[in-house]
Amino acid sequence: MLKDYPKAIITKDGTCVLLRPVVATDEAALNHFFSEIPADEQWFLREKLDEPETLHRWIQQLNYSRILPIVAVREDDGKIIANIRLHLHSAPCIHHVGHLRIMVHPDYRSQRLGSWMILDCIKIAMDMGLEKLIAEFVSGIEDAGINAAIKLDFKHEGVLKDYIKDKKGEYRDLIIMVRNLASDWSDF
Amino acid sequence: MTESYSNSSGSPDRDTQSILESDRGPIVIQSKCPPGLFKNLQMDAGLGHFSHYSSIIQKLDSFDKFATRKDGRVSLAILQPNVIIGYCIGSYPEPNDRWSLLGGLMYELAALEISRNFRGINLAHKLLGQTMDDDFFEDKIAYMCGYSWHWDLEGKNLTAGQYRNMMKQLYGKFGFREVYTNEPNIALRPENIMMIRVGARVSNEDHLKFRSLRFGMKPK
Repeated sequence: MLKDYPKAIITKDGTCVLLRPVVATDEAALNHFFSEIPADEQWFLREKLDEPETLHRWIQQLNYSRILPIVAVREDDGKIIANIRLHLHSAPCIHHVGHLRIMVHPDYRSQRLGSWMILDCIKIAMDMGLEKLIAEFVSGIEDAGINAAIKLDFKHEGVLKDYIKDKKGEYRDLIIMVRNLASDWSDF
Repeated sequence: MTESYSNSSGSPDRDTQSILESDRGPIVIQSKCPPGLFKNLQMDAGLGHFSHYSSIIQKLDSFDKFATRKDGRVSLAILQPNVIIGYCIGSYPEPNDRWSLLGGLMYELAALEISRNFRGINLAHKLLGQTMDDDFFEDKIAYMCGYSWHWDLEGKNLTAGQYRNMMKQLYGKFGFREVYTNEPNIALRPENIMMIRVGARVSNEDHLKFRSLRFGMKPK
């Protein structure tokens, strides 16, 4: 399933980018990537991968069957410019579901990079036989992600009101979006 | 099922024909079928028009059309004596197709289909393998585009995702890998798939031109 990587894409501005799974030697490049994410956005990371110790622990225990992390790497200099993680579940009751988390470097937004990465995850999830993909976005912070997800047929499935607190202590909604993968398109 | 090669005098070229013994009689896999070969053949009833699915090729004339084209390739699986039960078609892209902008570099495997009545006996693998067993492809980027609206999901009892996986595995055995493109038909559905095989003699420069074209950047 991973043998097709690296996968090449070209962003709207002509940047050649390779998508590939994270490997342990990416630690320094990932540290650099997260350090360039604005502090206001780092706040919303569920796993504090912007902290070098946390990232180090996580990358030493890479387990693609639990979390499949894919990075977008600039072809010319190897700089990591986006990161998406497909969270998988071993429990039989939710084995058919995957969760997405995505982060795109501020300099590479509005380039359709996030859309390509979400699409890549949809294809991987299909190949794995998953039936649903779930993505959660913080309202007012991750609206670009919401728009990318909508274009890829994710549907609003729910809102957790005031679920998230921002840095100033103000509440924000968590938008839950779902992409069904098991659809039969024979009537298309 | 066993496989043997015909070498009797007067038969088609040994390199382009193999014979499978099946429960329903011998099946000839014939690649590089020449124009004119098709008029005495007939299509199996499992190739045709169904409620949720139609065969891409339903008339014998269409085989002639492809075989007549420059470097056109038609491979057939023929249940003896004369029933077409599967086919693989190859040709250069149509002039209005994005990939034609790279001239003779790109070569499309435009269709591969097995009759509903003869699936599950590895015929697609045999047809594709025999079609690709040709030095011609070492100068080409061979590609296939899989569109879910062409797939016989009902007949195979598969979801689009499962069908996509089946295609990946089949073509993957012959060196094809999935690539991304913003070509509108491929991009319309995530289960759609473009797979390519880059021939051994294709230059890196041509490979890069193709990559740019995949994202709408025309060659200079």
